[in-house]
Amino acid sequence: MRRAVGNLGERNIPRHVDEELAFHIEMRTQHLIARGMSPDAARAEALRQFGDLTAVRQACIANDEERVRATRRAGAMDELKQNLVYAARTLRRNAGFATGVVLTLAVGIGANVAIFTLVHAVLLRPLPVANPEALVAIGNPSWVNSVSHSTNVRTETFNWEHYKTLRERLPGFSGVLASGRADGIELRADASAAEPDRPRTRFVSGNYFQVLGVPAARGRAFTAGDDEGIGASPVAVISHALWQRRFNADPGVVGRDVVINSSRFTIVGVMPEQFRGEIVGQNTDLWLPLTMQPVIHPRRPWLTEREAYWLLLLGRRGPGVSFEQAKSQVETAVRQIVTDAWTEGSPPPPNEIDVLVSDGARGFSAVRGASGTALTTLLVGVGVLLLIICANVANLLLARAVARGREMSLRLAIGAGRGRLVRQLLSESMLLALAGAVIGLVLARWGSRLLLVLHADGARAVTLDTGLVLPVVGFTAGLAVLTVVTFGLIPAWRTSRVDLATALRAGARGTTGSGSAAAGVRNALGRSLIAAQVALSLVLLIGAALLVRSLQSVHNQDMGLDRDHLIIADVDATTRGYAGERLAVMMKELADRLHRIGGVTAVTYSENGIFSGTESATTFQVPGFIAKADEDTLAAYDRIGPGYVTAIGGRLLRGREITQDDLDRRVRVALVNQTMARFYFGDTDPIGRAIQLDDSVSVQIVGVIDDVKDHELKGEVGRRFYVPIVGNADNDPSALSFEVRTAGDPAPIVEKVRQTIIEFDAQLPIERVSTLSQLMRQSVREDRLLARLASGFGLLALLLAAIGLYGVMTYAVSRRTGEIGLRLALGAQRTSVIRMVLGDSLRIVLIGILIGVPLALGASRLLRNQLYGISATNPSAFAVALGVLVVSAIAAALVPAWRASRVEPLLALRQD
Amino acid sequence: MLEPEGGLLRGTLDVLILKALSWGPRHGYAVAEWVRTATDDHLLVEEGPLYTALHRLERKGWLTSEWGYSENNRKARYYQLSRAGRQQLRTEMTSWQRYVDAVTRALSMPAPARG
Repeated sequence: MRRAVGNLGERNIPRHVDEELAFHIEMRTQHLIARGMSPDAARAEALRQFGDLTAVRQACIANDEERVRATRRAGAMDELKQNLVYAARTLRRNAGFATGVVLTLAVGIGANVAIFTLVHAVLLRPLPVANPEALVAIGNPSWVNSVSHSTNVRTETFNWEHYKTLRERLPGFSGVLASGRADGIELRADASAAEPDRPRTRFVSGNYFQVLGVPAARGRAFTAGDDEGIGASPVAVISHALWQRRFNADPGVVGRDVVINSSRFTIVGVMPEQFRGEIVGQNTDLWLPLTMQPVIHPRRPWLTEREAYWLLLLGRRGPGVSFEQAKSQVETAVRQIVTDAWTEGSPPPPNEIDVLVSDGARGFSAVRGASGTALTTLLVGVGVLLLIICANVANLLLARAVARGREMSLRLAIGAGRGRLVRQLLSESMLLALAGAVIGLVLARWGSRLLLVLHADGARAVTLDTGLVLPVVGFTAGLAVLTVVTFGLIPAWRTSRVDLATALRAGARGTTGSGSAAAGVRNALGRSLIAAQVALSLVLLIGAALLVRSLQSVHNQDMGLDRDHLIIADVDATTRGYAGERLAVMMKELADRLHRIGGVTAVTYSENGIFSGTESATTFQVPGFIAKADEDTLAAYDRIGPGYVTAIGGRLLRGREITQDDLDRRVRVALVNQTMARFYFGDTDPIGRAIQLDDSVSVQIVGVIDDVKDHELKGEVGRRFYVPIVGNADNDPSALSFEVRTAGDPAPIVEKVRQTIIEFDAQLPIERVSTLSQLMRQSVREDRLLARLASGFGLLALLLAAIGLYGVMTYAVSRRTGEIGLRLALGAQRTSVIRMVLGDSLRIVLIGILIGVPLALGASRLLRNQLYGISATNPSAFAVALGVLVVSAIAAALVPAWRASRVEPLLALRQD
Repeated sequence: MLEPEGGLLRGTLDVLILKALSWGPRHGYAVAEWVRTATDDHLLVEEGPLYTALHRLERKGWLTSEWGYSENNRKARYYQLSRAGRQQLRTEMTSWQRYVDAVTRALSMPAPARG
């Protein structure tokens, strides 16, 4: 008779092997004894004949353990397959429910993945080059499009001379590239092309592609030879996208001649598709050698101007050189440059030279700073939304759990373990989450692109790679797992916990009887989930309310000028060829023409417009003022036309305006703003005092203007002074803007302004004509988008919580139908029933609020950097959010409450 | 060359075990005895590796095992061929025969013709 082994537990294996081998030794021993050996000798001989007992024992145990493991694995696989098949069948039977859940999950997961895609692209993704971790950024990596003019050595951006010096003096780097802004580039593929292309361009050093480690896909990249003589290398490298778009993927594009800003260039190479330059958020389509900069922009040859600081540097660390070593090398080299540049008579260079040396793996980016925080905030918000969605789904699953009591008890009765049931139910949740994640991934691709479009709001869009990359897919998979755990676990556990007898007896009705303990627990769980949803929704609502309030305060602040009646027109006079005297005359004449437009009350002009494009800053000396730091001699400035202050609606606090007479006579005068006046002159009158600009030019202050917010709505106004646009410097203004003030709504006048300019000179390139309010709106478009999205999330969360509340209340009422019927039959008023139900629901909401408010107080700290003019605990924002929440909760509970009051007492009593 | 196992090439022991069990379940000692007698005590040097082989074959799925009681009422582990094991035995016997025939023929070749 043989006994089946059954389930071979792993702990029994060694024992079984020992028994088996002992049997053999024993049999052999007996055999030898029968041959006449003594028992001891026989045993010894048996052992000898066996061989290495320990080794054999080990080998047998190892084999057995592996066999058991393999069986278990196969069993688990089988069970998983079974579970999934069964889960699919169950879900298909409840297709409506499944679809609803999958879609809600898809929205939640999709929103998260969309935001994460952007977070990854802006903050995390390294440049698509060889070994990006070895790259080091030198300079301020967000100053990608800036040029500063200064006689002092600057280190946020560099001039060409210092770049070349640094390149020599950094042995720890295998190469250092320079990259600088190129604007106003017009590309004509052939002379007959009507509309020129305006590609995003960068001026780069010859070793740019080599340092980055990106070989050309076609043709060649730049080499050191392209850095030799100024104007000696009229060559260009284009991006894959430009090649497709403008050259129709012509295979013969290498060697083709093109015209760039009236100069002939030859295309020598096409970059691979995934390389779009070293700036995140600003894809480059055209690369030109640095040495060609003075050829393209002869009127502002920054390359050869010693005071023009416009280059950002990116170096590649040599093998074995650590980041710290590289950083200290750069600091030493820069210090040396500053010391060398010091000339007799200038103030001694400060002891601390600040040069920013940072990790360059993610390149430069103008958008990373601000957008980075906004995006992470959004990610948190959208994560909270997903939690709420999971709570909703959990509630839905719990509701179904009650109906499945019979199915569960049947399976338990025929021998399934509770663990098996839980695994089965989790498989259903897994399928739901998987489907939700896949659809969510698809939604996310559209979502992230849509976000970029919304963010652009008419202006030039930020260009990011929103493609499917491994981190994004990984994130999605992780989210799917998290959601299963969050919404699947508790319902699975709950569903499997069935009281066999009651469930089977209750029959098809399920367990809606009020006596059921399971239903009671289900109710309690449902209510806690709703409370959690309420709490989380409150967090989102408060966040949204804070952002909206902040936006309001940004809008409502005093900007120091007439914001609702100004039109700003930016033109490119230098490219058109206006210079010197001709430029002065043109500015005056065009201003006159613009003034004659109906509805226009004043016109002026300036180098740097308002809320558009350029800014200028310079260092200077104020006699009698001792500078404590390098920054103390720095101020922003603008070169302005006559009557500037009155024209823009600014406030002249002291002294007089700059007049046409000043311009005609080339008088060296200046206006200063309030901040500057206070900084250098304290309470004394600045009128009559002089400022020494760096080229030994002295200007006299004739007026003080109240601070104007001219480029940023948020942030403090810095020191600023204004000098006449003509006759104040050797070089012409590098940009030109006209400020047009209207009597009424400026919007309809915009087109007329544009027409007038075209009539005046059809060849004059117009960069932009826009009302100031439009420009302001665009400058805060990120905040607006954030506020809108946050509000959207908050309202969506509220909707979900309200639906959940409605569901839970309906269920609670149905459980108490008998009790309600009894009360009504005994004479209670119907309104008291309504009050009872409402009270019940408000209790849940109250708990949610009690949890949510502290949570919101903590979470709102995250928003601190986004908020302007209000604190993170702004009471009116909290009040509004709470109000909206309570009203919605009452509305959601009202329907079940009203239905409860409509209960027919007789029917209710009979039903129980 | 395959590692020797108890004096035999590893594959050889496997096919012998399969053959030993082809007439019905046996315990390990019985298999050892059969191998001794069948090979006229010529090949199996050590008996331990036989057990390693038995467990290995069970892991591979060619044998299954059960606990039972031997002739003298001792608890013993009985092995028997699975269906896959039976198939494996047929396969091994065919290739063994082919191997033996080929080597025998080669070893009995006369001297090659000159030319």
